[in-house]
Amino acid sequence: LLLTALAGPPGAASAADYLDAGALGARLRDLASSYPAIVRVESAAESLEKRPVWRVELGAGEAAKRLARPAMLVVAGVEGTDLAGSAAALAWIERLARQYETSPTIHGLLDAATIYVFPRLNPDAAEKFFALPVIETSVNTRPTDDDHDGITDEDGNEDLNGDKRITWMRVKDPEGTFILDPLDPRLLMKADPIKGEVGAWKMFTEGRDDDRDEQWNEDGPGGVNLNRNFPFQYNWFAADAGVHQVSEPVTRMLADFVIAHPNIAVAFTFGAADNLLQAPRAEGSSGGAPGAGDRPEGTRSGGPRSGGPRSGGPRSAGPAAESPRPEGRATPSSINDNDLAYYRRLGELYRKSLGLKDELQGQGASQPGSFSDWIYFHRGRLSLAAQPWSPAMQLELEKLRPKPEAKKPSSEDKKTSPSESPAPSDAAARPEGRGRRDDRSTSPGASTRSGDARSSPSASADKRNEQERAFLKWLDKNAPDAFVAWKEFKHPDFPDRRVEIGGFAPFAKTAPPKPVLDALVARHADFLTTLALQMPRVAIRSMTSKHLGQSVYEVKIQVENTGWLPTVLAQGETTREINPTRLTLDLDPKAILSGTKITRLPILAGSGGMQETRYILHVPDRSEIKVTVVSALGGTVETSLKLDGEKR
Amino acid sequence: MKQARRLLRLLLPALALALAPSIHAGEATTQPAAAKLESPHVFPALGASFEPKVRADWNRFHDNAGLFAILSDLNKAFPDLTKLYSLGKSVDGRDLWCLEVTARKAGNPDRKPGMYIDGNIHGNEVQGGEVVAYTAWYLCHQHGRLARVTELLDRAVFYLVPTNNPDGRDYWLHNPNTASSSRSGLRPHDDDRDGLIDEDGPDDLNGDGVITYMRIRDPNGRLKRHPDFPNYLMVPARDDERGEFTILGLEGIDNDGDGRVNEDGPGGYDANRNWPWDWQPGYIQNGSLEYPASLPETRAIVEFVLAHPNIGAMQSYHNSGGMILRSPGRAGGVIRPQDDQVLSYIASIGEKVLPFYRSMVIYRDLYTVWGGEIDWFYGGRGILSFTNELWTPANLYRDATRTSDAQDIEFLKYALLEDGVVEWKEYDHPTYGRIEIGGTRKEWGRTPPSFLLEEECHRNMSFTLYHASTLPQLRIAEVKAERLANNLHKVWVTIENQRLMPTRSAQDVANHITRQDVVTLTGPKVQVLSSGFVRDRFFREVVAVERRPERIEIESVSGMQAVRVQFIIGGEGAYTITVDSVKGGLVTFSQTLP
Repeated sequence: LLLTALAGPPGAASAADYLDAGALGARLRDLASSYPAIVRVESAAESLEKRPVWRVELGAGEAAKRLARPAMLVVAGVEGTDLAGSAAALAWIERLARQYETSPTIHGLLDAATIYVFPRLNPDAAEKFFALPVIETSVNTRPTDDDHDGITDEDGNEDLNGDKRITWMRVKDPEGTFILDPLDPRLLMKADPIKGEVGAWKMFTEGRDDDRDEQWNEDGPGGVNLNRNFPFQYNWFAADAGVHQVSEPVTRMLADFVIAHPNIAVAFTFGAADNLLQAPRAEGSSGGAPGAGDRPEGTRSGGPRSGGPRSGGPRSAGPAAESPRPEGRATPSSINDNDLAYYRRLGELYRKSLGLKDELQGQGASQPGSFSDWIYFHRGRLSLAAQPWSPAMQLELEKLRPKPEAKKPSSEDKKTSPSESPAPSDAAARPEGRGRRDDRSTSPGASTRSGDARSSPSASADKRNEQERAFLKWLDKNAPDAFVAWKEFKHPDFPDRRVEIGGFAPFAKTAPPKPVLDALVARHADFLTTLALQMPRVAIRSMTSKHLGQSVYEVKIQVENTGWLPTVLAQGETTREINPTRLTLDLDPKAILSGTKITRLPILAGSGGMQETRYILHVPDRSEIKVTVVSALGGTVETSLKLDGEKR
Repeated sequence: MKQARRLLRLLLPALALALAPSIHAGEATTQPAAAKLESPHVFPALGASFEPKVRADWNRFHDNAGLFAILSDLNKAFPDLTKLYSLGKSVDGRDLWCLEVTARKAGNPDRKPGMYIDGNIHGNEVQGGEVVAYTAWYLCHQHGRLARVTELLDRAVFYLVPTNNPDGRDYWLHNPNTASSSRSGLRPHDDDRDGLIDEDGPDDLNGDGVITYMRIRDPNGRLKRHPDFPNYLMVPARDDERGEFTILGLEGIDNDGDGRVNEDGPGGYDANRNWPWDWQPGYIQNGSLEYPASLPETRAIVEFVLAHPNIGAMQSYHNSGGMILRSPGRAGGVIRPQDDQVLSYIASIGEKVLPFYRSMVIYRDLYTVWGGEIDWFYGGRGILSFTNELWTPANLYRDATRTSDAQDIEFLKYALLEDGVVEWKEYDHPTYGRIEIGGTRKEWGRTPPSFLLEEECHRNMSFTLYHASTLPQLRIAEVKAERLANNLHKVWVTIENQRLMPTRSAQDVANHITRQDVVTLTGPKVQVLSSGFVRDRFFREVVAVERRPERIEIESVSGMQAVRVQFIIGGEGAYTITVDSVKGGLVTFSQTLP
């Protein structure tokens, strides 16, 4: 079925597969009016282009109750290119609302937990998917002098060939550093002087040099990538980082929302950062996230803007030395060892939900200033992040798909080498004038599948661009529109050169074709439900009292955590941002001979972790005592302890 | 008029530069005037004691409304020099008032080199507010009287914010406090992480309007009365001696019944740890709050500074200790050597006019600060900034060595006649029983007594005015046009910076914080064919600009230095050279080709 030709996302017809701002708003309002008891929808902020940034809250009961329950936060569309994540988040909340009356599990979930969803944090960038010409961008429209020439947004892209899409230009030029991939000349790759290759092409995004500075499209409209604008490992002076942390109205709104909802125990962010497809690294393993200080000169902090024709000039990034680095008391830069098992296990569940077996290597790990890292490293909550779809993921899924008929293995069907980057356009075919991406995935020795490659003579000859070629072959079958055949164009800026326009269409690598999207969205919804069911939940396992005589009682209260996650992660304890669980007896302190009215409980591990608290009470006038347990992330329990035994 | 100027030059050669005519800048609009007092029987002392248009007393503290009244009166009395506006609202809705002071008719205020000055970011550190208000008051009254001030207001603009923590200030002044309490603002903060907010602060148990200490008679206590000052002071008992008292802490009760006293008072954070540069979360830097510039006060000032890229200098007033502090706030933090050299020089002048103040680096000589205000001004915006820690007890006796507790108390006793002392008196405490409450008033220790406050205002202001005088001053010093052929000329332009501070600091240049200084040549019948930087004026080595020759981008013009550029132009007739510097101002020069 999947092999039938399907329209790719670019173009007006296929765009209907995804929801533009108006359609998304309508769907959300429908949801709220269909399920008023459990769904609330409101515009939490306005984007710079005056679109609503929607916030959806799911949960039964009054607001104060929902705020006291364990909560899960899902943020999609934070990168702007993330149409697939938005679709997944929407599908999930629609499914939860539908299932509230039919599924006891979902009913129980929404009665005991609260779900907060921002389905599209950067609606302005997402709208570029629907407007013409189509252009892929991760940033908002904040005017930014990307190339630091004192002039703002003066050199953006133009649709030169009139195909309503901003694609790529390749320019035949002896000073170029690219060559055509001999195995698929539609692709380019870096010439390797060691192999005696001589560069012959330059590569740019489509457009003119509007400001005559001999850089092409280096300072287009915007902007700030909202997912580079948060405080953890914020990359100062990077072109898309914003003027300081949390500088944008929308990021500030989201940060304030998180602070105003301390019940958030778990967050899931769709975006360029990932800690699910590939397990995060342990503490001390040379740092999971590249600090800004590790970046090479000229690096932009942008994610895998696969077809995103927005580029920075070579002067665009600040020198590494300026990046603030803690001295003395170090901030951790990788997941706490004691929290790692939760991340690993949830990664397994995520991959299983998606139909993947192994970890996918070379994922985005942390991105500087990402929302998800702020939630874990500074706010102390479990924070998962994944890119909902990528070429590497699709190729892996194809590999695992049961083949309907026996096929002769060919190089295109080969599995992606784990040593390859998932976003080869950045690593292998980066256009001129774009910064280098920090690519830690090409370390020698990481390639463990050379045996497979050897079965194809061409692949063994040259593994460069392997994934790019395989993905292009997949697009040929599944979304032929997503690659634009190169065609010569008479470019006024290059009067003496051959210029061709074409290449990957915008969103070719971020927004999958519809049938893929359908399955992807359903599988993500499965996982998000699974995740929501893992939140901590405090309960009283037992309460006993023993009369010692003279109205003096020994009381023992066992508080347990019946959820899977601990009441507080190790990083939550480190940050001190999560109040300790409190066990309170409604008694005059004078009646407590041993113990305290308020007892702060240690972390309760999930799956039944328990703490017993013992009191000696002198209560001649009471037969019942109100007992309250308040856990920041595990909910609240109110109950009564009946005192046993004869009174005197 | 001319005679007066000649006389001044004779008397004060230092003034020559300030008054020298220059191509670009408006001249002083008014002349030095004799100080006058209304009564024929009193006479002014040097400084600022002539009859002012706006009366203000500088031997007392003002709450937010009191400071606003001074700014507002100045604004009404000096409409040509001032503009009054609010930068935003505090947590409790108070305005962050800013008085913009510059000669508004001499040039465009928005294009003049700017200095931002604020105080009192810690609510209890009140006298910074008076220093900033004094600066406003002084500048307004001295413009047109003192040539130095006139020149400064003609070419530079001051943004004066007496308090950027009006909530903390009013709370300190209006409510019982100690010298150190109310450092925070008043945003609710759950200090003890029990889910209740600001529920157990200190209490003025004896109703005397200040928070002092509680002590209890205790045969096992390790403190005893000071032999010479038994009513005020305690000292540790000798190792083998029985003590008399144990200190129980600040005046207060267990308001929330959790078995602890004063553990969650109003606020509970530090606004000077909430700034974006080198910000760290609360578990690294206590009191930094949830994210940088999360406080409305911080945010308002950040946005104001971002909207005023002409600000090149900054001063922030704290107390106490007698320090002139500069970045960085932490080991390994950013300070560019060229910038440090300028700051160090300015601070060395400060050490001269501020007795017992020392020039210091925050992390090295004081303590580590993450997310401090001046670190953002410098690191994030490239603005050359200082924090002064106002007031040092060395000023009590004009002696840096006489700063012991007993010597302080001696001053209280003999110089202040016990003003500021709260004698220990008995009190029945609900938890502790019979205790004693006493100590010193909140005004003692971190703020000067009345007769030294005015001195502190003036001396600190004079330091910042020196700092402001070093703001870059650009001048097109020379324009040399040389005919190469018919309708073809080479024009050399020398642009000099007449002051200490570069147009863009090294931090600014390194990170492209503001744009380059741009030199252009335009004329109705003139076309720029090529342009370049003159690397060696003697051997005429010129490096051509590669692109857009009509627009020469200069990274920075260093202090007391000149740069030279070359234009090769075709055409004829009149032409104008423009130097457009974000921090150095806008300078133009016109002439006709030979």
